[in-house]
Amino acid sequence: MKLIWHGGCFEFPDPGRAMSFRPFTSESYAEGERPEAWRDVLNAVGLQPATKSPFHEGHATASHRNAPGIALSRLAAGAQAIAAVPQVQEDLPIALLAIEDGAVLRCGDTHRIIPAGHLILLPRTADWSLAFQRDLRAIVFSVTSDALHGRISGKLRLAKPQVIAPSGLADVVCRTIEATARTLATLSDAEWSTVAQSLVDLVLTLAHQQAAPTSEAGNSATQAATLHRICQAIERGLDDAELTPARVAQAEGISERYLQKLFESAGDNFSHYLKERRLQRAWTDLSNPAEAHHSISEIAYRYGFADSAHFSRSFRARFGLSPREFRQQKAEQAVTSMAPRGQRGWPQDALAQQRACQAPASLKSDVTLPAPANDQDARRHHHHLAASAEHVHWGYFSRSLPPQLEIASGDTITIETLTQHASDDPELMIAGDAAALSVFGWSKAKKNVDRRGAGPMDASVFGRGAGEGFGVHICTGPVAVKDAHPGDVLEVRILDIVPRPSRNPKHQGRVFGSSVAAWWGYHYNELIAPPAPREAVTIYEIFADAPEPHARALYSYRWEPQTDPSGVVHATYDYPGVPVAPGSIKRRHGVLDNIRIPLRPHFGVIAVAPREADFVDSIPPSYFGGNLDNWRLGKGSTVYLPVAVPGALLSVGDPHATQGDGELGGTAIECSMTGTFQIILHKKTQLAGQPFADLSYPLIETETDWVLTGFSHPNYLAEFGAQGQSEVYAKSSLDLAMKDAFRKMRRFLMHIKGLSEDEAVALMSAAVDFGVTQVVDGNWGVHAILSKRLFEDAG
Amino acid sequence: MKHHLLPVSNKTVHWGYFSKVVTPALTLRSGDRATIETLTHHANDDYERMIKDDPGAESVFKWTKEHKAVARRGSGPTEGPFIRGAGEGIGVHLLTGPVAIEGAEPGDVLEVRILDIRPRPSQCGCHAGKCFGSNAAANWGFHYHDLIEEPKPREVVTIFELDTAGEPFAKAVYNYVWTPQTDPDGIVHPTIDYPGVPVDHRTIKKRENILPNVKVPARLHFGTMGLAPSEADYVSSIPPSYTGGNIDDWRIGKGARMYYPVAVPGAYFSVGDPHAAQGDSELGGTAIETSLTGDFEFILHKKNDLGGTSLEGLTHPLLETSEAWSVYGFTYPNYLAELGANAQTEIANHSSLDRAMRDAFRKLRRFLMTVHHLSEDEAISLMSVGADFGVTQVVDANWGVHGTIRKNVFRCD
Repeated sequence: MKLIWHGGCFEFPDPGRAMSFRPFTSESYAEGERPEAWRDVLNAVGLQPATKSPFHEGHATASHRNAPGIALSRLAAGAQAIAAVPQVQEDLPIALLAIEDGAVLRCGDTHRIIPAGHLILLPRTADWSLAFQRDLRAIVFSVTSDALHGRISGKLRLAKPQVIAPSGLADVVCRTIEATARTLATLSDAEWSTVAQSLVDLVLTLAHQQAAPTSEAGNSATQAATLHRICQAIERGLDDAELTPARVAQAEGISERYLQKLFESAGDNFSHYLKERRLQRAWTDLSNPAEAHHSISEIAYRYGFADSAHFSRSFRARFGLSPREFRQQKAEQAVTSMAPRGQRGWPQDALAQQRACQAPASLKSDVTLPAPANDQDARRHHHHLAASAEHVHWGYFSRSLPPQLEIASGDTITIETLTQHASDDPELMIAGDAAALSVFGWSKAKKNVDRRGAGPMDASVFGRGAGEGFGVHICTGPVAVKDAHPGDVLEVRILDIVPRPSRNPKHQGRVFGSSVAAWWGYHYNELIAPPAPREAVTIYEIFADAPEPHARALYSYRWEPQTDPSGVVHATYDYPGVPVAPGSIKRRHGVLDNIRIPLRPHFGVIAVAPREADFVDSIPPSYFGGNLDNWRLGKGSTVYLPVAVPGALLSVGDPHATQGDGELGGTAIECSMTGTFQIILHKKTQLAGQPFADLSYPLIETETDWVLTGFSHPNYLAEFGAQGQSEVYAKSSLDLAMKDAFRKMRRFLMHIKGLSEDEAVALMSAAVDFGVTQVVDGNWGVHAILSKRLFEDAG
Repeated sequence: MKHHLLPVSNKTVHWGYFSKVVTPALTLRSGDRATIETLTHHANDDYERMIKDDPGAESVFKWTKEHKAVARRGSGPTEGPFIRGAGEGIGVHLLTGPVAIEGAEPGDVLEVRILDIRPRPSQCGCHAGKCFGSNAAANWGFHYHDLIEEPKPREVVTIFELDTAGEPFAKAVYNYVWTPQTDPDGIVHPTIDYPGVPVDHRTIKKRENILPNVKVPARLHFGTMGLAPSEADYVSSIPPSYTGGNIDDWRIGKGARMYYPVAVPGAYFSVGDPHAAQGDSELGGTAIETSLTGDFEFILHKKNDLGGTSLEGLTHPLLETSEAWSVYGFTYPNYLAELGANAQTEIANHSSLDRAMRDAFRKLRRFLMTVHHLSEDEAISLMSVGADFGVTQVVDANWGVHGTIRKNVFRCD
């Protein structure tokens, strides 16, 4: 197999595609594949291993970020020599800053020792090489003419490498490059793009300074420097509708005629150049989600177009579509561009987009009115809630959903749940099953469960479908609990979990599940085998009755664009329940041969309704429970949830046959299952002295352990306010989740177990296990496990 | 096969660093076994219980104005004037060794099997025969800047007794808040900043009856085991890295097999930092630090024999137990190579679980693809549904996340 490092600039030439950061480490690659992987890393900044040097095979890391025509890499690797990838057409240089150790520059027959901290401007020619005799530790900034969007920089051709000591402007350039390299991973796309453009300006100005004086070609070099200055003046004056060649020439102290001559020498003219720059800058702003709240005419005005009709015509003539169409196209592309950041549900930029286009559809319209609560059933102690289109809500939690039924504390209830991944193989997991057919029923004329997700019903953000897939889980419920009020605690005991066998006569009695390595998976941004990126679905068969219950893979396939019955094409797995057409995919058999995965049946989602908003994305877990994705929540376990709204409104879904800690690829083995629960309500006034007193998070109790759930943002809805549903995706971190788990466990030990802080910290060091719950659900999770054995003598 | 004995004394330890230039304490051959004694560097938190009348421990910890038996503690400078002491406490663990393996060369893999682990009982008067350990909630702990009770900040030492009569467990004896301690050379240590400083029990206030009714199940293991790295002559023992070191995983106990890539000729294996128990994350900065003795077996796997085995392509430490394989992800998998000249101190500024998780994912993917011949898609699906990622430690500068895959996944009919 050939493994390649997909340098971002090769994969995503489109500036609208965001999050261009790519980390590299040789640890990802088998020994034999490292040289080629490393070559790709160097290529991304216009470099390659020098032919004569023995190739480097040791440990190497790099961080890389790119924008059109611009690439910045920080490299750390062993001793080696590098050279340019010759590019005859390209005049712009590569800037290299050696850090810590210097290098030896060979150019023709001469050598020169370059100390660390000096900036080297390298032409893209084959006549030099740079040897790092200790370690290669350098920052490389590559700029090509693509970065200039048609901007003229003045003729600039370095005959040979230029070494510049860090003083004056060069010092500023070096420090900026260093600071940028340090923060490469954390800059937002908008920030990176601004910094990258500034770096281009800085480096080119420096390059012109180097090329200008004293040299024999002094005359043309001076001309080039002047033109460069003029172009910079034009950049500064783009907003001025009255910008004329005369004014620019006057400001530069040259004649208008000379100015026009300079442009002619570069094959252009002033007014064409000015218009091109204005359109290019408007293009950039229109594709920037951060600018979405500015109207098109505002952006046009910003670049000197006082008449927006004129702007529209010019824009269409230049780019082939109107500014409005262009902006919509960019918003759609943002879907895929957000993927590498692991975003699901509400994408951060969607809110801004939505504010711009206003009018969320009437939220009530899609909610099916349920049958009134069964009063005659309330006295009975066991309830059954079957799955059907009427009994589920898909992709969201809501305090305003009318309950399916009301039960009393102490009652038991059997709840059927369906996996939203049943549509990955409808023949195995939907066909013949009346409940599944009802929930997944979707034709051109009728979609039984229209809303899927907490997004707008008119799909005005991305056009994926009603609810926009901002939230994906099929939740059965809600179930109201009599007399439950905010401040109470709801105890949900899981008495039993039974998988739901196929009802298709051809597969009668067999159990199937699906696992998708999806675009929100932790791995997605750094796949090593081609094609990257890709999504892969693996269909499993579940053997729940075997002596050692386990799952085995049946087959797998790569996701191919699917057209849903409403005619929307889903290029990625971006909307739940899209039926996969068997003919559209290529099944691969013999996958995960001889591997069987022990079962850990559990429900990924157990939630009460949150108080903060009417429609809450089902993906990020939080204080109200939700998408906990902790496999310890299986048969025999209990979860305690803080009640946030009257009636509690319990919902269950996202059934999993098994999952690993981390849920790395984005999903578990998703398999429809039926659970039996006992629900006990603990009134606020009776909580004192209970293990679940002072509860502000989902607390799991198993036979042997207490499991506390830490999140990156424990109550993200409250923390981020109106923007909470999008912010949490962008700001998740295991470090934060670990802090939260620590704080919750400390509180539990001090307040529930009566320890001092010092005792609690000592016990956490010696006996509490912290683990990774999931890194794929927006709000990442770390759990803390406290063994009950520790307190066996407590009496 | 030969069985060697490596008792602990000031002649057989190096303190606070791994080193390829220290003279080996023992040289053996692949297939040999050795009984190796180790001491906890926290023994001086309670001299009477953990050092007094134990000739091995006395010889290591001996420190008067005139004579400091093991002067260098850490990879820092050995020429004064010192801020904290020779070696400057850049690295803290008492390590027994190094053990050189005949014929080991860079590129080979050393397998270390832990056959048995026993606690080292106290020798002193009324404590004789009992086993003790110390847990310090220290300034490098995850909690330190996030304390809620006064005084803030503070360091707390808790002394535990290990009961081995039945199923072994530890119980707290007493604790105390660290007070500034003046070492025999006259340097004052306001915090726990240098290992082996004798705590003057007249300056501290013991609080008894703590953690009443709490029994901590024992998980005897060695927090620090590993080989000398090639990058520098003296390498701090605190951050774990590609040749192992301070991994602090309690699963590295009896029955475990560790595999380490050899970086220098002779491999230079050292072991120390013995723990009676530790939770995943080692939150407060230390485990229950208890002197232990281990029986080890060493097997050298030559570079050319690795192909087609579980060790193919191994560039990092790997754990095999009877149930599972674990790989260790770190914030920086090889911080010495990645962070350059100041790596040993710089690493503390970069600690992050997010990077460690990334590294664990990559290492486990490579293990599944190289050793188990899975495609990338298969490896990712299997990791999602069958591999468990946990927090190893958040206190050793180079933070750790381990990725574990159970062996019974591969056992198929």
